[in-house]
Amino acid sequence: MQKVKSKKSILLASVTSIFLLLTGCSNDNAASQSTEGTEENTNSITLSWPRDIGSMNPHVYNPSQLIAQSMIYEPLVSYEDGGKIKPHLAESWSVSEDGLEYTFKLREGVKFTDGSSFNAEIVKKNFDAVMKNKSSHSWLGVINVLEKTEVVDELTFKLTLSEPYYPAIQDLALVRPVRFLGESGFPEDGDTSKGITEPVGTGPWVLEDYKKDEYATFTRNPDYWGESPELEKVTIKIIPDAETRVLAFEKGELDLIYGEGAISMDSFNYLKETGDYQTDLSEPVGTRTLLLNSTNEKLADLNVRLALQHGFDKAAMVEGITLGLEEKADNILSTNFPYTDIEVEPFDYNVEKAAAYLEEAGWNLPSGKAVREKDGQPLELELMYDKTDPIQKAMSETLQAEWSAIGVKLNLKGEELTTQIERRKAGQFDLDFWYNFGAPYDPHSFINVVAEKGWGVSEAHSNLPMKAELDQQVQEALASTDEKERQQLYGSILNTLQEQSVFLPISYIKKTVVYQNDVKEFIFPANRDEQPFNEIEKSQ
Amino acid sequence: MVIYLTKRLLAVIPIILFAIFLMFLLIRLSPVDPAEAYLAAANIHPTEELLAEKRQEFGLDQPLIVQYFQTVKKIVLLDFGNSYVTNSPVWQEVAARMPATIQLAVSSILLSIIVSIPLGFLSAVYKNSLIDHFSRLLSYLGASVPQFWLGYILIFFFSVKLDLFPVEGRGTWQHFVLPSLTLSLALIAIYTRLLRASVLEELEEVYVLYARTRGVKEKAIMVKHVLRIAISPMLTGLGMNLGKLLTGTIIVEQVFSWPGFGRFFIEAIFNRDIPVIQSYVVLAACLFIVCNLIVDIVQLYLDPRISWKGRTEY
Repeated sequence: MQKVKSKKSILLASVTSIFLLLTGCSNDNAASQSTEGTEENTNSITLSWPRDIGSMNPHVYNPSQLIAQSMIYEPLVSYEDGGKIKPHLAESWSVSEDGLEYTFKLREGVKFTDGSSFNAEIVKKNFDAVMKNKSSHSWLGVINVLEKTEVVDELTFKLTLSEPYYPAIQDLALVRPVRFLGESGFPEDGDTSKGITEPVGTGPWVLEDYKKDEYATFTRNPDYWGESPELEKVTIKIIPDAETRVLAFEKGELDLIYGEGAISMDSFNYLKETGDYQTDLSEPVGTRTLLLNSTNEKLADLNVRLALQHGFDKAAMVEGITLGLEEKADNILSTNFPYTDIEVEPFDYNVEKAAAYLEEAGWNLPSGKAVREKDGQPLELELMYDKTDPIQKAMSETLQAEWSAIGVKLNLKGEELTTQIERRKAGQFDLDFWYNFGAPYDPHSFINVVAEKGWGVSEAHSNLPMKAELDQQVQEALASTDEKERQQLYGSILNTLQEQSVFLPISYIKKTVVYQNDVKEFIFPANRDEQPFNEIEKSQ
Repeated sequence: MVIYLTKRLLAVIPIILFAIFLMFLLIRLSPVDPAEAYLAAANIHPTEELLAEKRQEFGLDQPLIVQYFQTVKKIVLLDFGNSYVTNSPVWQEVAARMPATIQLAVSSILLSIIVSIPLGFLSAVYKNSLIDHFSRLLSYLGASVPQFWLGYILIFFFSVKLDLFPVEGRGTWQHFVLPSLTLSLALIAIYTRLLRASVLEELEEVYVLYARTRGVKEKAIMVKHVLRIAISPMLTGLGMNLGKLLTGTIIVEQVFSWPGFGRFFIEAIFNRDIPVIQSYVVLAACLFIVCNLIVDIVQLYLDPRISWKGRTEY
């Protein structure tokens, strides 16, 4: 009997302690919960984000999220519509004749949220911290050519480059790594790559409350130097699942779903069709492209590449697979980037023309066979795609069916993403999917990878007869200090690339946003990575 | 008892070593190059020199057998390395997320016990009645409905349409309801049927007939005798499912934005964060092994018919 009693008491004690554990945690979080909801504060919005915002360190990458970094930290110059670079924390700047020295006049009266002043000293300290960890930033052009940083006077800062590089100023508009952390945010040894002590910036928002993997709340910076945002508060809820985001939005727990791939194409159209919400698509942020490797002996022939361009119904494929969320692309780079507004003759969908090109290249269809042959070799190619990407997979299957009609056998190979990148870099592929970088990285990052080896793009072009000339033009364009000359060089480079058809543009990728009816003035930021909250208003 | 326990604990060691070996083999078989994955996660452009440097740092240039023993040595010391993404020790990341996952697992177990004991018992006592049919239907549903789908359906009805519970997140007791329900339905399906079967079996036993002839009240027979004995197989099932439950939280945590270990694991898969994936596989394997061991020991303790001595002789 005694034994039974003790068993019972153990059971009772366990259940009670589990209950306390559960309710205990509830009380802990109940307080923070009140900061999450939108009910108490009408001038605030709540949006979802797929990942935790991260450590809020302006000088590092993953897992910090660009959207949140750009709320707190600001650049010297900002990237505006059409690729115009506007003053931001720098009031003005000048570039020396030789294109090597950049002198910035810093804005006066700007304060960090720790009360310290924004001046040339702290700008240099930030640059030095970034340069300490140079290997992490070697992908960024300006870092590779940065030779010296100097404090000229309290509000004048100078950068010296080792060679002229016109996009240096575009690179300074990026969300990371060259944005500015206040003095009290630095660790003792000044090495921010290992962490910061607190997120101290000059930006319009201040991180008020944060719970890892759950939410982050930002409030308006009361001492902001620029125009204060209309909203008082922005809450970012971390919701990793796209369908859950839509359900939370429908219930009204979210005011906004924003970002690339933040919502499935089906859900976007479903929410749009209900008529109960506002939906919008941005200007193109990038191009979904196929890379046809010219080092493959079949693809080395321009006629084969042109046949592939004409041999499929691009408009129908893009509409059918992306449900109208992407737009058929004729240009390799969309025309909303600087220097990219060139006249392009679209490749129409024309099976006869495609067949004629193939015949001209010597690929004939033997009677009774479905695949063209030349010297006994079948016209067989392999398209490599990321096997976790449903759009790449669907497009690959469509192309396989479409091109079989012109006598091209397309084999599909789904690869693990890292393998896909590895194979691309080594140039070991026939056809592959490729995306450009978007604003503010393009068009200079785009032409850079056309010339520089190690990304797979230059490798894919390496069999073009004019490759050396193309590389030379790229070098000249990147070092050019003359606007007219640069425009002319870009025009020439892009025209050659369009004609040579190593890039086969498919569609323009766009950002999506869905928001409740009481949210007003949503404007997509020109910089792909920048936050969109400064202009948003909410009707009371 | 000491000898039995020692024997059992010693037997665990080769099993864990084998689990580590399998994990090691599977990771090496995957086409992902850890050096490449690290640089991709850290946003560093992978040049040949950097790749070579990282491969050396991770010991990937060593023979496989050396790499395996190094992995075992580190795991024994609970050193899973640093996450490629956050750069913090994996152990620290896991420990920070474990409480949330354990809370969810515990609340699901409690819920499944609360539902399946009365339901299983009543459907045996009132065999072929309405309640029996209902429990059968529930078991079919629980066994066949995929968890992610159930999660969405529950959110749609109870949260979006009826506005009874929050869609996602963690905080108040309301946040526990839908994820726990999603996780526990599969358990309820198993336990209800298990308990029903074992109650029916016990009802056929002679001691029940004897108790009835003695004039013991039916209620007392059922609760004090039948249920007490019939519940034992369910307890075994519960222990064996504990490991499954913790790993089952992966999908539920993703659907309900529950900030636990399972969600962290999913993110690690997408980021090819190999140290995190490795730690998850090892911990899950250990969890299964330990749970089975505990169940065995508890069963011996609960069932007086099996002696420690007798067990050790098998």
